[in-house]
Amino acid sequence: MALLEVEDLRVAFGPATAVDGVSFAVDEGKVVGLVGESGCGKSVTSLAIMGLLPKRSRGNGRLAPDTEARAVTVEPAGGAEAAESSPAVPSAPAPRTAIGGEGRRRGRGADVDGRAVFDGVDLLSLPSAAMRRRRGRDLAMVFQDPLSSLNPVVPIGRQITEVLERHRGLKGDKAVKEASHLLDRVGIPDPARRLREYPHQLSGGMRQRVLIAIAVACAPRLLIADEPTTALDVTIQAQILELLRDLVESEGTALLMITHDLGVVAGLCDEVNVLYSGRVVESAPVRELFARPTHPYTIGLLGSIPRLDLPMDEPLRPIRGSIQDVIRWRDGCAFAPRCDRVTEKCVAGEPALVGAVHAHRCVMAEEVA
Amino acid sequence: MLRYTVKRLLQLSVALLGLTLLLFAWFKALPGGPENRLLPENATDQQREALRASLGLDEPVWVQYGEFLARIARFDFGSSLSSGRPVATELADRLPATIELSLAAMIIAVGLGIPLGYLAAKRRGTWLDFAAVSGSLLGTCIPIFFLAAMLKVVFAQELGWLPTAFRLSAGADYTDVTGLRVLDGVITGEFGVAWDAVRHLILPAIALSSIPLAVIVRITRASVLDVVGEDYVRTADAKGLKPSTIRGRHVMRNAMLPIATIIGLLLGSLFAGAVLTESVFSFGGIGSFVYQATTERDYPALMGFILVIAVFYVVINLIVDLSYGLLDPRVRVRK
Repeated sequence: MALLEVEDLRVAFGPATAVDGVSFAVDEGKVVGLVGESGCGKSVTSLAIMGLLPKRSRGNGRLAPDTEARAVTVEPAGGAEAAESSPAVPSAPAPRTAIGGEGRRRGRGADVDGRAVFDGVDLLSLPSAAMRRRRGRDLAMVFQDPLSSLNPVVPIGRQITEVLERHRGLKGDKAVKEASHLLDRVGIPDPARRLREYPHQLSGGMRQRVLIAIAVACAPRLLIADEPTTALDVTIQAQILELLRDLVESEGTALLMITHDLGVVAGLCDEVNVLYSGRVVESAPVRELFARPTHPYTIGLLGSIPRLDLPMDEPLRPIRGSIQDVIRWRDGCAFAPRCDRVTEKCVAGEPALVGAVHAHRCVMAEEVA
Repeated sequence: MLRYTVKRLLQLSVALLGLTLLLFAWFKALPGGPENRLLPENATDQQREALRASLGLDEPVWVQYGEFLARIARFDFGSSLSSGRPVATELADRLPATIELSLAAMIIAVGLGIPLGYLAAKRRGTWLDFAAVSGSLLGTCIPIFFLAAMLKVVFAQELGWLPTAFRLSAGADYTDVTGLRVLDGVITGEFGVAWDAVRHLILPAIALSSIPLAVIVRITRASVLDVVGEDYVRTADAKGLKPSTIRGRHVMRNAMLPIATIIGLLLGSLFAGAVLTESVFSFGGIGSFVYQATTERDYPALMGFILVIAVFYVVINLIVDLSYGLLDPRVRVRK
């Protein structure tokens, strides 16, 4: 049985559906990629697994203080992704509902459905206190923006030792020593000095290393990395990916890598799930996916990578249009409005995910291949 | 940190010097100089000239300004025109009462305002939030003198729970150490006196705290809502930390930054409110003194008052700036 098995995960913010029945598995010690463009639901998926999405209030009249705290945290992310994807929709047929927007105006919080079975336990149905004991210990997360993800007024050392204190019971000098060891392990020179410094005194790459040190502090069995290199320079990106690979290899940690960068996928992942509009449209072992992309969206993604071996005046090949939130899968393929090979069959009904090792969600796949 | 402190101190002394210049210019520009206040209306021009000379008013302006500064440096604000006593003595006698009242009001405002604002933010949209927000709106709307008078009528006169006026009961035997009666009582071990002083403080302090309390509730609420949406709070949550750790170390420590600034500004403005509250409760602070000085054109007294308040503002601002440096490491190291 897989370490993490996500089954039919659905997340909705009010009337806007962000994740529409996502299923995938992460095996012990494997690196699994979750790939897709902004707004496809990949970040929301990871937050749902971590239990960091605000649950909608249940009957007792008010949100639990901590869940509400997260409500505000998550919405801007959804909103920003939706906003990011909005400019290039010249002919959006129906009024767009921003993923975060509606949820923000109505009652705060997300409706989360489905299962995320981790080590035999469904994380989504765990009480919040039990989930709190697992977060940071059994499964940990590295976020996208290392500057804003660290507390600006608390020294680096404290931000590491607090997690050691909480989950490993280390106190005082022992915790500091372990924190210093962790910084050393993620490749930060002079760790004793860095422990006393504040986030703004560190470079972007070092901040991300600190976040990684925090995430691996309790040797979690699953590490979720949500676009950990997006905010970094290209050279630093390579270093951080290298570090992640080393850590998961040496510790046998499973890694769920969330990214829009197929280069990252090719270099790091064992298996890939391509997400489009809140659903997995193709999933395959990484070599298989790059060798035989099946879904037109995957083909488009691969085709849009700029190539150095083509003449300079060769235009880039983007996928036309952009992701749309109002189109539901049950009315047909959500990618159909942007697909070059669309036929009537595509919009006739919900396309199913077919195939086992290499699965795809496209009725025209046979013809395409 | 030392460089930061020295820099702030230099900036503040420049501000104070600017203020003395303004004050001096203002008093020069006022119509009907002090000689008109001191001399009978039928005084001759000669008498006026003589008095102006004796007051140094015939010297060149810059000499007068120099004299003015020199006297301020010696805490010599002249004598009050109405009481004849030195202004410095008058202020020194009355200032402790105002300080005690302002501090008590601030303790109430901070002690209640921050927890209330926090709860309002955490339970945004509930009745508690609504009550806190509308209550604080009410707090800023009710004039202090009205609130003070109502509190006095209800709790002192009708219910008789608390004394109506003054800082201590008549005939109370106390030892003066700092001039802050509660503190004095505790220092000297006269706890009966301290308790008596507390009972006299409660009503005026509540009246005076209404505006700062309302402001602190709103600022805290807004600040907490801001911080709670930050990525680092999500990180703290992803670490699985206890809610109390997230609240104290990650939310409040950041939310305190704007709150600290506001508290400093409010503390300064409390002196203005104290003038009204003190008069309702005959509290014997600088309030009644200033009221009298204003109506009687007692320039030396006013000048002394304004300077003392200005120094207070400046000192409080310095404390706020320094505490900001302590609270926010980014301020400390910024080049």
